[in-house]
Amino acid sequence: MKLKWKTVGSIFLTGVMLSTAMLSGCGSTDTTASGKTVIEIVQYKPEAVKAFETLEEKFNATHDDIQLVIDSPNDAMTILKTRFVREDYPDIIGIGGDINYSNFLDAEMLMDISDYEGLADIKESYLTIDKQLEFIPLDGVYAVPYMANAAGVLYNKDIFDKNGWKIPETLDEFYKLCEEIQSKGIQPLYFGFRDTWTCLAPWNAIAVDVADPNICAQVNAGLATFTEAYRPVAEITKSLLKYAQPDTFAYSYNDACTAFARGESAMYVIGSYAVPQIKSVNPDINIDSFVFPGSNHKEENVLNSGNDLQWSVMAGNENKKEAIYEVLNFLYEDENIQTYLDDQSAVPCKKGDFELPSMLDGMKPYIENDKMADYQDHHYPAEMSVDAMIQTLLVDESDTAVDTFLQRFDTEWARYNRDLIAKVQKFYEEHPEKLTEGGN
Amino acid sequence: MMSKGNKQTRAVNWPVTILLILGCLTIFFPLYMAFIISMKQPSEMTNDISGALSLPAQWSFANFQEAMRVTDFWHSLGNSLLITVATVVLAVVIHGMAGYAIGRSMKKSKAYNVIYMFIVSGMFVPFAILMMPLVKQTAQMGIANRLGVILSYVVFYMPLNVMLYKGFLTNIPIAIEEAARVDGASTWKIYWTIIFPMMKPMHATVAVLTAMSTWNDVMTPLVIMSGTGKNTLPLAQLNFQTQFGTNYNLAFASYILALIPILLFYIVCQKQIINGVVNGAVK
Amino acid sequence: MRGDRDRERTFLLITIPVVALFVCFNTLPLIKGFIYSFTNFKGYGSYEWVGLRNYIDLFSDARVGKSYWFTFKYALLGTILTNVISLIIAMGLNSKIKGKSVLRGIYFVPNVLGGLVVGYIFSFIFTYVLPVVGQSLGIEALSGSMLSSVSKAWIAIVIVGCWQAIAMNTIIYISGLQTVPEDIYEAGAIDGVTGWRKFKDLTFPLIIPFFGINMVLSMKNFLMVFDQIMALTKGGPSQSTESISYLIYNNGMSGGQFGFQSANAFLFFVVIVVISVVQMTVMNKKEEQL
Repeated sequence: MKLKWKTVGSIFLTGVMLSTAMLSGCGSTDTTASGKTVIEIVQYKPEAVKAFETLEEKFNATHDDIQLVIDSPNDAMTILKTRFVREDYPDIIGIGGDINYSNFLDAEMLMDISDYEGLADIKESYLTIDKQLEFIPLDGVYAVPYMANAAGVLYNKDIFDKNGWKIPETLDEFYKLCEEIQSKGIQPLYFGFRDTWTCLAPWNAIAVDVADPNICAQVNAGLATFTEAYRPVAEITKSLLKYAQPDTFAYSYNDACTAFARGESAMYVIGSYAVPQIKSVNPDINIDSFVFPGSNHKEENVLNSGNDLQWSVMAGNENKKEAIYEVLNFLYEDENIQTYLDDQSAVPCKKGDFELPSMLDGMKPYIENDKMADYQDHHYPAEMSVDAMIQTLLVDESDTAVDTFLQRFDTEWARYNRDLIAKVQKFYEEHPEKLTEGGN
Repeated sequence: MMSKGNKQTRAVNWPVTILLILGCLTIFFPLYMAFIISMKQPSEMTNDISGALSLPAQWSFANFQEAMRVTDFWHSLGNSLLITVATVVLAVVIHGMAGYAIGRSMKKSKAYNVIYMFIVSGMFVPFAILMMPLVKQTAQMGIANRLGVILSYVVFYMPLNVMLYKGFLTNIPIAIEEAARVDGASTWKIYWTIIFPMMKPMHATVAVLTAMSTWNDVMTPLVIMSGTGKNTLPLAQLNFQTQFGTNYNLAFASYILALIPILLFYIVCQKQIINGVVNGAVK
Repeated sequence: MRGDRDRERTFLLITIPVVALFVCFNTLPLIKGFIYSFTNFKGYGSYEWVGLRNYIDLFSDARVGKSYWFTFKYALLGTILTNVISLIIAMGLNSKIKGKSVLRGIYFVPNVLGGLVVGYIFSFIFTYVLPVVGQSLGIEALSGSMLSSVSKAWIAIVIVGCWQAIAMNTIIYISGLQTVPEDIYEAGAIDGVTGWRKFKDLTFPLIIPFFGINMVLSMKNFLMVFDQIMALTKGGPSQSTESISYLIYNNGMSGGQFGFQSANAFLFFVVIVVISVVQMTVMNKKEEQL
């Protein structure tokens, strides 16, 4: 009967479906047909895609034995995490020095690369920032910083020059300047608070001035509370709304960049990463920057700067180490770094004499004197959505807004970090000598 | 509202006609605006109403070209088409057979009743709960690609489609099949030569419902195929929604490009689509 | 009878692979999700069993509570508005009008468009177009962007949700209205039944089944709202428009809360089942009564 093949087919299909559902196993390809070693990089800055396309091409044109693939996907963090869920790992990941790095490190997904020679050329302060991102102090090096960015206040130089305004160096001077600008009928600040993450830009810039840079680790160790440490940060951030455009929460990051580029506001509290976006709207705009003066003591103000892009090698790549280091060496060649700098406005983490974008002029002294502190939000767990909490604080018009916010910060911190806090405290009980070394 | 019980039923109700035509503006307005913006340059976009609604200074398809390049339009379109067509074909074949086998056996066998309820209850499962395990599973099976997306769809739409086919079958008398059986035809043959052609209206419904949900879906390809370098058309739209470097004109050009294929398809097959949707909901 | 055996066997051979496929892509992931809900899994790396902690947390988590509150008020208002408006449009489209088929075709257009792209387009309207209109007309409530206001953002999402959902419901109501025989109205006209009473006593009872379908359909779709949130507000301002699906996706996929959000997803699943069962029972009772 004809039935036979149907029976076989049916059983076969069922078997295939159920067994594959249970089993795992799919090999990844490490080499191409022609025997080249393939190195895959996923980097999380889609806006730098052009620079990396150039570098990728250049590398492949000069290397016969290694084929380099650089992916610059949008929403790369979600994509990376999805790939990790799939256990489909690239060879090198280019991510920021933030909580994700800490988490990947904590999950033992990254390879120790302390034997990479290029580390000697990296500025010390950026390596320290990475050290501080370790939940539990580790031996070894797990990331090579590539580019740093800085956040503060971008200002329209033409408007400032025309009115003869001076760069404020204390908080009071800053407020005074804003009022002066307002009295001239000019919009002092423009925000893109509809995109919650932009709420972190002023927050971070102020926090580095007036809060303990190690506050998160201190809270985890049970030595401090955010209610105390963050009160001035919350108050100053909220005070900026007075100088912001009306209906502040209606506009996105893109809108704010566009408005600033068109000269609709004199200043814009954001990071250097916004500059390419602003220039795309108005290539002729004359921008400079200054460090946000969060404190009334001039010397307390520091530049908010962190690792914007750093390379980590995924664990289990020991056999491809040589090829991977070859790729890293290539990326750190001076002219290749310059390729990136020309495209993006960033601060290279490699020692040396690079041409910095002119809009960072106002921050240069701080960079040169190493007066910098990392973004505080690099220590906040993503799922806690501190950006949305800050947005809530800003939207909240009641008198108790700051108190509500601070209280919530402490309770939610304890909840979202409880596994981590338990882990950290257990570790320090076992290794009390490490407590003094810092780390988050 | 309806006209008073007018004896002259032929007379056109003009007030209602005019109100309905005005109502259409709410549908045309967003589409018009999207089109206008897609034709403009960023420098024409002022933060006021004329920036959004006035005609562009010059008609230019440059944004469309750029959007096509950035979203890799033709490949995205190809992927969308491939996924949609494959899903629809598999849905018609698999769900049709399943609806038939289950529907015809439910009267006699309790087990099939249980199976039917089991499958139909899948309708209540929110995608959110399946998402993460599915990502892991498709990867382990080595189908974190278009095939995985297609198979996922075939299963997501199975509850509704099986229900539809099963419902439709009650209209086809068993007597027809029995007559064929007397002539010695096997069940398999009966299905393909008699039942399958008779279910044609339901095939159309299933095809339309499945196609529209598949075409517009973002989540499934996003979680299953992301990072593989392949996009569907809606997925490619996410490319424009990044934190850095968004450009309304380019984005709107891309939206228009994403809307055009389904709009064209709708204009051509309007009757079948509407009938299909109604059948699906009412049955 | 030999034919009976052939029939049973063929049915079995069809059903088994289909059920296997279903189990593989629906039941199995569901069970896995349920299992993960008892862990503190991030989605990658190692994890630990945490027992019922995630479920206990669910009920004390303000954010989760807020997302349920938002989702339900959104779904409720959306369902009501959609049904009222689409019933009115359907009656209009079903009356003696010019260009009937063209108008029907146009009113269905929003349904074929993808929710994400529609959301992006409306986002622009709410931010740039409506405030300008509001200002020039001097309407205080409209002079700012609806999306930036905690009290109004959810209404904006309702509007976009309805804009799309009305298309579908209208078409279903039209097909319902077509089943109403003309002579009922003629009989009603003789008794002098007009206007609202004509609708309430004659039309509506006859289209109750279609009303039922529309209620169930739109309620379910509104409860699952995701694309619109993603395109319009991303859950803001100040987390006031986070729908359940959005929260699960956002914190589960990219937020490292996979275990916790699996518990949330499971709760959501139970809630959807309960609502659907209640809705169907009520509708069945109504139909029987009439």
